[in-house]
Amino acid sequence: MKHKYLALILAPVLATSAYADRLVIKGSDTLGAKLVPQLAEHFKAEHPGTTFDIAAEGSTTGIAAIIDGTADIGMASRRAKTAEVGAATSKGRTMKPVIVAYDGIAVIVNSANPVKSLTKKQVEQIFTGDVTDWSAVGGSGGKISIYTRNTSSGTYSEFKELAMKKRDYAGGSQKMAGNEQIAAEVGKNPNGIGYVGMAYTKASGVKVVSIDGNVPSVKSVQDHSYPYWRPTFYYTNGEPSGLAKQFVDYTLGSAGQKIVAQVGFVPVR
Amino acid sequence: MPNQRLTSFIIIAVFILSLAAARAQDAGALLDLLVRKKIINDQEAEEVRAELVKESANTAAGKWKLSTPITELELYGDARVRYEYRGGRTADDAVPRSDWLERERERYRVRFGLRGTLADDWFFGIRLETSSNPRSTNVTFADDTSTITAGTSGNTRTINGPFAKNSDGIAIGQAYLGYKGFPDLTLTAGRMPQPLITTLMTWDADINPEGLAEQWKHTFNFNFGSSGVAESAAGYSKEGGKEVVATQTVSEPFKLKVDVFANLAQFVYDDSNPENPLGPRAEGVPNTDAFLLAWQVGARVTFPHDFYVQFAPTLYNYTGNGDTFNGHFVGGDETLSNGDSLSTNQTGIDSLLVLDVPMEIGWKIGELPMRIFGDFAVNLDADDRAEAAGFPDKDDQRYAYQIGLGIGQLKEKGQWQLNAFWQHTEQYSLDPNLVDSDIFDSRVNMEGVGVTAGYMLSGAVFLNLTYAYGWRSDDSLGTGGQGDIGINPLDQYQLFQADLNVKF
Repeated sequence: MKHKYLALILAPVLATSAYADRLVIKGSDTLGAKLVPQLAEHFKAEHPGTTFDIAAEGSTTGIAAIIDGTADIGMASRRAKTAEVGAATSKGRTMKPVIVAYDGIAVIVNSANPVKSLTKKQVEQIFTGDVTDWSAVGGSGGKISIYTRNTSSGTYSEFKELAMKKRDYAGGSQKMAGNEQIAAEVGKNPNGIGYVGMAYTKASGVKVVSIDGNVPSVKSVQDHSYPYWRPTFYYTNGEPSGLAKQFVDYTLGSAGQKIVAQVGFVPVR
Repeated sequence: MPNQRLTSFIIIAVFILSLAAARAQDAGALLDLLVRKKIINDQEAEEVRAELVKESANTAAGKWKLSTPITELELYGDARVRYEYRGGRTADDAVPRSDWLERERERYRVRFGLRGTLADDWFFGIRLETSSNPRSTNVTFADDTSTITAGTSGNTRTINGPFAKNSDGIAIGQAYLGYKGFPDLTLTAGRMPQPLITTLMTWDADINPEGLAEQWKHTFNFNFGSSGVAESAAGYSKEGGKEVVATQTVSEPFKLKVDVFANLAQFVYDDSNPENPLGPRAEGVPNTDAFLLAWQVGARVTFPHDFYVQFAPTLYNYTGNGDTFNGHFVGGDETLSNGDSLSTNQTGIDSLLVLDVPMEIGWKIGELPMRIFGDFAVNLDADDRAEAAGFPDKDDQRYAYQIGLGIGQLKEKGQWQLNAFWQHTEQYSLDPNLVDSDIFDSRVNMEGVGVTAGYMLSGAVFLNLTYAYGWRSDDSLGTGGQGDIGINPLDQYQLFQADLNVKF
């Protein structure tokens, strides 16, 4: 009888403990496809019993998850918009950003493309559809095939802001779900062009073009000489606490930042 | 130094946060500068930025809440006040003969809309408009009185007073949803802005058709000639002992831009209710809705120096019956009295298979835009339409055309625009339910001239004057269609409108 009562008392405690060891992370494909899963694996090795639930469907989904309370951490490769912050406030939540890594949005073309460099103006012209043939930008001719992310992607929004002066993408651009998909398509299409985070530039069949003479690198992102540099974020509801704080601290610590560098991002320190 | 740096950061942060919340965006550049100067780091800048955005979200402007799926929202609209004179004259052999019926009205209209985009390439729009007239958004000042129902006995009493609101209602002019996730393709459903390229000869500009539309457009760019890069090569010569630099310029390539488009539409023209009644169907009662199908293909070719040519051949095909427009069109009869002529069927859509070709050529003289515009239409089933109307010998009355010249544009303050055109429409050529309601009073079998002149008083306000004068084209037929002037046949017609418009 005593054991039965003990089990009844301990059951909710045990259940709470099990729930507290689970971290739900949603958001950016840029962070969530490679970096955060690797961080999670290393974190789990140091914190046995911890489980992660990671969904990388775009920065917009990560921010929305913090707003509606369905995630502990929202990954984002863009800043939260005023409307999103307002929506959070109306629900009694606070969007707290933490920069976890820097990134440079790399413009990639097929390895067989003779184009090695573009100006910022040319990048804008290509992605908005003002220029539709490679011959106009020093290539060997052929209709330009544009690959972009979809509208829930932070990279989609950031690239539109950084490279396109907020103009609309060309009507013929093809939308892909993630960085790896863009790299795969550009790698297969000799006339393809797209953009990916720095960590995804090593895909086969693609090469990075310089923009006004700058290529994305640790140095050019840190000193902001690369024009398409950007911070990437974890968003939490207010100051992170509990397991979320531990994971944020791990990401920002020396071990986490080493993983950041290994994956291909630029560490914050 | 760290304490000095922290102090500087605190002072600057307090300063920024004390500013009006609307300055959230302005502070971005300042924060970037502070980071570059290493007074604060990126994380500190992000925290200040987030605080500013939160402050902004709590202001009156920031409290404008948008649901999460909305990625972009635009508020737009316009308001207009108008003076209008409209007059029509009876025929010389009518009773009363050569008599004018004239109408003067002061009118206004308001259109207020929201359109936006949703995640994943969906878009939507809604627009409220004054007036429930399908071809007009105008409301006439002082054309109505008040009526109320009073007392428990259910008696009504009419209270006549100025400035009543019976006719000052609001209708839903547009309500549509669309998708543009497929390359070059836009799909729209609902009550929508006109998706086809048209002119006033065939469609009134106030009509918002209902149904489905598919718009496809692809742009081809061609460069003929050199690589497109103009270079200067310097050469030197000596004249009179001095060096002279001569430059050679490689010619620019000949650039051609071709927009090819195809617009298809399936409009629900008239709903038949019910399609399947209880019991046996009564004789002659239709059981299918009427649809207007449109098939348009065309191209716009843009040459260098702002010269362009556009044409958009369209086939309009009517199917089904409906229960309102399924009678045979007559369009009036000059052998009848005015009242009897007006009572003949003016709206039937029988035997209409219209091939329409709107065209436009444009160029610039200096910075002044010029254009020649035109339209040509032929009803391929006009012989059946004429026979059903009771005039089988008039089966050649199947053509309509318009030709005009436009100068200038109305985009910025101080700009002006002039348009002048000639229009001729025959009795069985077009759908009288769609033609413009102002030029020639919604009628067919009319020809004449129209002139418009506009001037931008400011970036959002413009004045517009319109004058039209028309007369009956074929004197042996009526002038089909339902207009504001209660005369059929309408032997002569005049219109003058003075508009003051505000767009926002």
